[in-house]
Formats: sequence, structure tokens, C-alpha cells
Amino acid sequence: MKETGPLNAILEIKGLKAYYETIKGYVKAVDDVSLRIKSKTAVGLVGESGCGKTTLALAVTRLLPSNGRVLGGSIFFNGKDILSISEEEFRKEYRWKKISMVFQGAMNALNPVYRIGDQIAEAIIRHENVSKDEALERAKKLLSLVGIDPKRAKSYPHELSGGMKQRTMIAMALACNPEFLIADEPTTALDVIVQAQVLKLIKSLQQELGLTLMLITHDLSVVAEICDYAAVMYAGKLVESADIVTIYKNPLHPYTKGLVNAFPSIRGEKKQLVSIPGAPPNLLNPPSGCRFHPRCPYAMEICRREEPELVKVDGDHQVACHLVSR
Amino acid sequence: MEPLVKVVELKKWFPVRGGITSLFGKRQYVKAVDGVSFEISDGEIFGLAGESGCGKTTTGKTILRLIEPTSGEVYFKGENVFELDEERLRKLRKKMQIIFQDPYESLSPRMTVLDIIAEPIRVHKLASSYDECKEMVAEALEEVELVPPEEFMLRYPHELSGGQRQRVAIARALVLNPEFIVADEPVSMLDVSIRAGILSLMLRLREQFGISYLFITHDLAIARHMCDRLAVMYLGKIVEMGSTEELIRDPIHPYTKALIAAVPVPDPTAEKSKVMISGEVPSALNPPSGCRFHPRCPYAMEICRKEEPELVKVDGGRKVACHLVS
Repeated sequence: MKETGPLNAILEIKGLKAYYETIKGYVKAVDDVSLRIKSKTAVGLVGESGCGKTTLALAVTRLLPSNGRVLGGSIFFNGKDILSISEEEFRKEYRWKKISMVFQGAMNALNPVYRIGDQIAEAIIRHENVSKDEALERAKKLLSLVGIDPKRAKSYPHELSGGMKQRTMIAMALACNPEFLIADEPTTALDVIVQAQVLKLIKSLQQELGLTLMLITHDLSVVAEICDYAAVMYAGKLVESADIVTIYKNPLHPYTKGLVNAFPSIRGEKKQLVSIPGAPPNLLNPPSGCRFHPRCPYAMEICRREEPELVKVDGDHQVACHLVSR
Repeated sequence: MEPLVKVVELKKWFPVRGGITSLFGKRQYVKAVDGVSFEISDGEIFGLAGESGCGKTTTGKTILRLIEPTSGEVYFKGENVFELDEERLRKLRKKMQIIFQDPYESLSPRMTVLDIIAEPIRVHKLASSYDECKEMVAEALEEVELVPPEEFMLRYPHELSGGQRQRVAIARALVLNPEFIVADEPVSMLDVSIRAGILSLMLRLREQFGISYLFITHDLAIARHMCDRLAVMYLGKIVEMGSTEELIRDPIHPYTKALIAAVPVPDPTAEKSKVMISGEVPSALNPPSGCRFHPRCPYAMEICRKEEPELVKVDGGRKVACHLVS
């Protein structure tokens, strides 16, 4: 396939709107979000619970639940609009083969009555025309790739620890050699030492296999550990995106600043933690203008009325805030 | 000066029922807490850190006698908590309170905020009239910054955000004027932007009322922010204990070192966290012989397999249980 995306963008999301239909109206989980992800980079999608980060990932994999609606926008994968093709074509050509995902809490989604090797093999057989033996052989290779003894292919999920189950899920996501891997809170349920082990694994796989990684997390320190870029979401909107050093050292959006200051660090000077007052809004009826204005310490008159556009500051740094765009 | 809380050789073993071994009369135990001693002075925040299953929550609950101990002693202001009859224990409970991890589960969904906070007042018969009771609830709500209190009193937990719920849980503990609070992972279920607010509130309550805390956490960065002194637990034992800042800057026990090195740092320019040890915490049902950490320890020697190291004093106020030191 020829590279049609500008500047090697493997994934380009343009003006995406993904809403959930409820009795009370539409929940605007992802509202006009545009994002470009360069090939072979690791991007952290950061935000608090309910900010729409998982919905964005589900829209990319076309796995929104039955009440989820994509009401606008497009998603280009290697230059091809993957929202306009048929489900059949998407399933055969893209899902799992080019774009795969490690779901949140997925380690609990392993089927307890099947051996893990068989479960990985099943994922391969569903997508590729291979024999059972061949698939099992590949499953074993995948297990050793993620640091599990291939003999454990015969183990049942209850015989594995949390970290090993999560490694199994990563192996399953890599079963069909995807180019693009989405990992949704891959380490949230794990203890800190196991978390460090799994993060190190994800980073080394990304570099060795030349994957593009989208890491979804609420934990900025995890993003600092393994990502090259970060995109910050708030209440269904992308508020800031930049390379990882800029996000930490020179954040421009008050929400990003707030997040950076809210994190205690185990190293360096002990600093005062500053919380962001209030709580994230209800997305059935988000605030007018800038959605962050009710919690923003710098809110001005214009913030209540007009929605700020995402503007380019310099290079890859984009921010949606009236303080900057004025 | 006499410590506020003194824990001496506390043990809590949970019998394991069922399974084929029970047929042969051999009782097995999960040694959740296996000989833990420490002291908490007046106005101090003492941290208990470790991975899941290390016994930190069981320690907290046993100190309050929410779980009956297997052996050991706990003194609160010189009084042996385990020797009290029910009547005197109830009186003491006014002075010792707990805040649980999950504010979504620790508050009854059928009670209003007023009822939730008034319940301990009723149990301890602290108010002579309904109005007085309401007045006390209002005061407690103001202390936890849920203002104006009238606006919150008649709400149900589902109408509150996670941060507000945890504030209600704190108000419920606070209304009894406690001198000691066990805080069991009080912010781990909350969004990062509100964590800092809850932590600051707890620090302020200490300043204002001289409340001491046993602060249980798996997050060493938060422990560093909150605690004066810190104990690190591994499989039911304290492996290292000392002043938080010194312990984090200069850990002595190999497990503490590994735990600190694994914490992700929210700064992309900082040195990346390292994984120093492999594997995961073994089962507490059959803990390893000798030093429980020896199978994962990079410095394990012959003696570590055979003899259990004692917690010994090194320089300053530090105590370490490791053969490398003793």
C-alpha cells in the first residue's frame, strides 16, 4: 500500500463525533476530535475516566457498543477511510490484522475453560487461513515473545498470575502481526513491579516490531515512561497534543497544567500537589463554550460562550484554549 | 512519650477451609499478617506500603479489631485494644475510625448523606436532639469542604462524584472527633485531578485536629507525599521501616529498592524506571522458607534460604530485615 497520508501519518482522525444514544439524549463521548498519529511512534491518550478516550479507540476499531453512533468525521488508516468500508471488509482486512487492541481489564476476559495456547490459536484461525497445528505453533512463539515459557500454552487462565494473563492478552493482540496496537489501560490492575515489567515489554515490542502504539491511560507518569507523544482529552474534546517533553515542561492548556501538577513524584524535590477544583462534567449536557471553563482558574468571558479551536502553536504542539489562540 | 498506637507482634492467620488436605486434619493457614510491630506517635502519619496481598489492609483492620487477631497486642493510648469488652471497645471506636478504599461501596446507596453521617452520632448517642445531630452533620460537611452543607445533606451517594463520596466517608469518620484514622488506599479509586484535593484535606485535618493516620497505600509516590514514616511490607512481614524521605532516597532492603525503582516517574526527562526483579509475589499460603523475598532477590545467599532475617535497627531510626545488613 502506498503512503498517502501526509508526513507518514498511519492514522488520521478528522472531526470524529462518536455519541452514545440514551433515553435522555446523546452522550457526547467523543465530540469533533482530530488527531494524527505518525507511523512507528508511541502516543499516549491521556484523560480522566469518562473523557472519551476508550470511545475513541472503539471507534477506530469499529467496536462501539450497539448504542454507539459515529455521527460525523472520518478515520484514515494509511490513507484509506476505514469508516466508509463495509464491516465485512473491515473485519477481514483491518481488525486484528492491521489494527488490534488490548482491552481494559482484558486479562479477566480470558475464557476460563480453554488453555491459553488454544485461545491465541483461535484468534489466528479466525483471521488467517492456517491449520490448527500451525496456529498453535505460532501461539507458542507469541508466548515466548511476550516472555512466557511456551510450555505454558497448555495452562488454563487460573494457573497464571495477573501479569502473565496480561502478557497473554498482548500476545493475542499481536497474533496477526498488526501495524497498529491500541492498549487501553494495560497496567491499571497490576501491582507496581508487574506494571513496570509489562510496560517495559510493551515498549520493547513496539520498538522491535516497528509498531505504532496508542496507549490509553489516566496515568501521566506511565505516558512519561514509554510514549513519544501525548494527546490530552477532556470531556470528549482533545485539548492539547505535543511531544512528551513539551507536555511536561511547557504545557499550555490549564487542564494539562493541572494534571501535571496533580501528580506526586517519587524523585526530585517534594512539591506541593495542586488539585483541579470540581469534577468532570456530564457529557449528556456539557458546558457551553470551552468545556473546561467551570473548573478553569483562568476562565474569561469568551470561554463561556465560544468553543476554542485546536490551533497549532509550533511544530507538533496543538492546543485548544482561548488564552493561547487570542 | 508514650506512642498513640503501639502494635506488638501482630499476627492474623486465616484458616483455609475445604480442599482435600482438610480431610486429613492438617489445618492450613494464609499468614496474611505474620508478626508485625510498629508505633505511631501523636499527630503522625504512618504509611504502610506494599503490593496487593502483602497484608497491609489486614493489618489496618486488625488494629481496629474489625478483624479479630490471631495473636499479638495493640495498645491505643496504653490500653490493650484486644482485651477490651464490647462496651469499652465501642467507646474506644469513637477515637479510632477508618476510611475505606472504595467510596462507591462504602456508602449505603439507600441512605442520604445526612443519614450516613448521622449514623455514628446515633450509635454513640452524641446528640440529644435531631437539630443538634443535624448541626453536627453540617459542621462535618463544612470541614470536608462540601459547602453549603444543606445542598448535600439530602442527596444520595449516586448523586455525588467519586471525590465527593470520599469526602462524605471522611466526614462520617470525622464527626466522632477521632484521634486516629486508618485510611485504606483512600484515593486509589479516584480520578487523578481530585486525588490531590482529598490528600490535602487529610493533611489539613491533621494540622487542625491533630489526627494521626495509618495511611495504607500501594503508591509510593503518594506515600512520599503524605507520610512522616513508612513501613514496607512483603508477604505479611515488615521488611523495612524508617522516615519516609530517607527511606525513599536511600532504600536498604532489596525489595524496597526494587519497589522504588519500578515506580513510573511523571517526567519524561528523568531516568526511566527500572525493573530490578522478575516474577511476582508468591502465595501467602506457602510462603518461601527463610527470607520470604529470597526467590526473587538478586542478592540471595545461602543463609537467606534457611533463616528468616530479623528486623534490626541500623543507623538513625531505620529498621531493616535483611541478612545483607545483619
